[in-house]
Amino acid sequence: MEKTATARTATKPGDARWDLRAEPGRTIGLLGIAGGGLTRIGLSLLAEPSQRAPVAVVDVRGWLSPLAAFEVGIDPEHLVVVRSAERQQWSQVVAALLEGIQVVYAEVPAGVADTHLRRLSALARARRGALLLRPLDGRLPPGVTHLTLQSERLVWVGVDAGHGRLRHRHLQMRAWGKGMGGAERLFEVEDDGENTMRVVAGMVPSSTGRAAV
Amino acid sequence: MQPGAGGFRVVTANTAARSSGIAQGMPRREAEGLCPGAVVLERDLGAETIDFEPVVVAIEDLVPKVEVVEPGLVFVPIQGALRYYGGEGQLLERMVERLGAWPGGQLGVARGPFAARRAAALAIESPLRVDDDAAFLAVLPVDVLPDEGLVATFRWLGIGTLGELSQLPRGAMASRFGEMGLAAHRLASGEDRMLDPRRINEDGSVEQHYEEPLHALDQVGFAARALSGRLIASLGERGAAPYRVEVSVWAADGSERIRVWRSAEPFTEHALTERVWWQLRAWVETAGVPGGIVRLRLQPADLSDAGRQLALEDDSASQLEAARALARAQTLVGPDAVLQARVQGGRRHSEQVTWFRWGEAPPSPQRSPDAPWPGHVPSPTPALVPPEPQTIEIEWDGGMPMRVRLRSRWETVTAWAGPWHLAGRWWEGEASVKRYQVVTSAAALLCEVRDGMAYVVGVYD
Repeated sequence: MEKTATARTATKPGDARWDLRAEPGRTIGLLGIAGGGLTRIGLSLLAEPSQRAPVAVVDVRGWLSPLAAFEVGIDPEHLVVVRSAERQQWSQVVAALLEGIQVVYAEVPAGVADTHLRRLSALARARRGALLLRPLDGRLPPGVTHLTLQSERLVWVGVDAGHGRLRHRHLQMRAWGKGMGGAERLFEVEDDGENTMRVVAGMVPSSTGRAAV
Repeated sequence: MQPGAGGFRVVTANTAARSSGIAQGMPRREAEGLCPGAVVLERDLGAETIDFEPVVVAIEDLVPKVEVVEPGLVFVPIQGALRYYGGEGQLLERMVERLGAWPGGQLGVARGPFAARRAAALAIESPLRVDDDAAFLAVLPVDVLPDEGLVATFRWLGIGTLGELSQLPRGAMASRFGEMGLAAHRLASGEDRMLDPRRINEDGSVEQHYEEPLHALDQVGFAARALSGRLIASLGERGAAPYRVEVSVWAADGSERIRVWRSAEPFTEHALTERVWWQLRAWVETAGVPGGIVRLRLQPADLSDAGRQLALEDDSASQLEAARALARAQTLVGPDAVLQARVQGGRRHSEQVTWFRWGEAPPSPQRSPDAPWPGHVPSPTPALVPPEPQTIEIEWDGGMPMRVRLRSRWETVTAWAGPWHLAGRWWEGEASVKRYQVVTSAAALLCEVRDGMAYVVGVYD
């Protein structure tokens, strides 16, 4: 299994390669309920940039575990957690971070105005920073993200009726947006929880049938 | 004119415009209102460097090594020249006499560059000599500090002068505002770096020879960019960036020209390229390199004082920007909400994580993470851990979890593991705890059962 901190090495039908990574100037949306597996996906996207420069996590609820962040490969020296629970202040905090931090993962509190989210996305574009948005109410307005990932199904492996322990997981996600070339696809991520995460080969067409590549 | 806060502002104006009331720093609209016929030109720092070159040469005739910060501002380390001229007063007299050809110049003398610059700004009629930097700076407003965001915060906190700022404990400044706060405190206390032309131990210079002498400005511009990039990249590999760079060129006729440029912040590639380009252009356009450039060298100096070397980052400029961004976030949410973490030993998540404020030194681990820690739940760690355990309803059947209630819905447990037993510190009244990994179709949870109650202590998200 390839040891890497970012979810990568995706092969889709048609032999094209696709890297899931935080790209400069791009906003990625992560949609799904708590427990859907997306916090770890978001953190894994910070791992590679954290080897070079500070990365920031805006933690609205104060629930983020730095141990999980370190497990996916984020450099402890370069992880800064900013706790910002107030909705009114949240946009200012994220904007301030985007002025100097290359990759920002931000939980979005419920009720943040759509215009604020669009401005932050534009700011990320202007500052060549990568912004990962994890809305706690599960929605983002259209036009904000370059790529949206939605958790569809999560299967944990290694645990049974009282035996074993959680070892690794298979997470099925739906992806759409400009970052997918306008198509909508399903793909699966395999994660053993310790700095090993990869997008497994063989992406399948979306169930809607719109993205059969 | 140059862009500034709130649009374009006046950088300089000729005598006729000044007589109409136009002043430095005035917004463009206001200036055009006072003098509608004024011709407005955008600032050209390259052209200003050419105009400023004779002034620098005149100063160099008196004191050989000067440091140019920008066109119009030059630092002159005078310590070595005092004995030659017989004292500070005599040297200043000679300098005023020599600079008489350019009226309007301002001279300030102090131990550190920051105080000297502030003294020059106040020296309208004659040179201003400062004997005690700290006392001189103490009465100045905090607005003279370079960081506008920090100044606004100081004002908001009721800190009006540099004296008031310097009275604050340095440790508290570092804790609250990080590196930038520390730098501001040093400046306010008159502890700026000294203008002492020191060489770094290792020769980090970069050099290029040209078989065909460079005459054309585009060739010179390309050479400036290429060599500046090489210098910043080679220093960056060592995690350093220069505050001063000595630019040397050799002309085809064998003559050599040297000029030192300095910056209040470590040079970025872009900033250094600009300055090298301005300097080369000034020399070429004033016929300062007869026959063209045959050799160009950039020699870094004053990589930093202790504590200011940017050793932790590959990219010093990005570190600086990141520090500014985090300091700004600190001012918004407070220092206790901008945090870093370290791992230490422990059985519970709260024991395994040590939080500390960004900008402060990480605390030493109290417990080794390599010790066995019986009872701790193996990795992966839940990505979400509530600060306080959240109560949850679990249906049991013969000691096995069957259903859990997530919000209003009951979810069937599809798999589970555990329990991991934590005996608890019974001598402190701590109850023993059993922990389970519980998997449902909606989420995988880390649950804790104690005193007959179940709690969620982590979500595997």
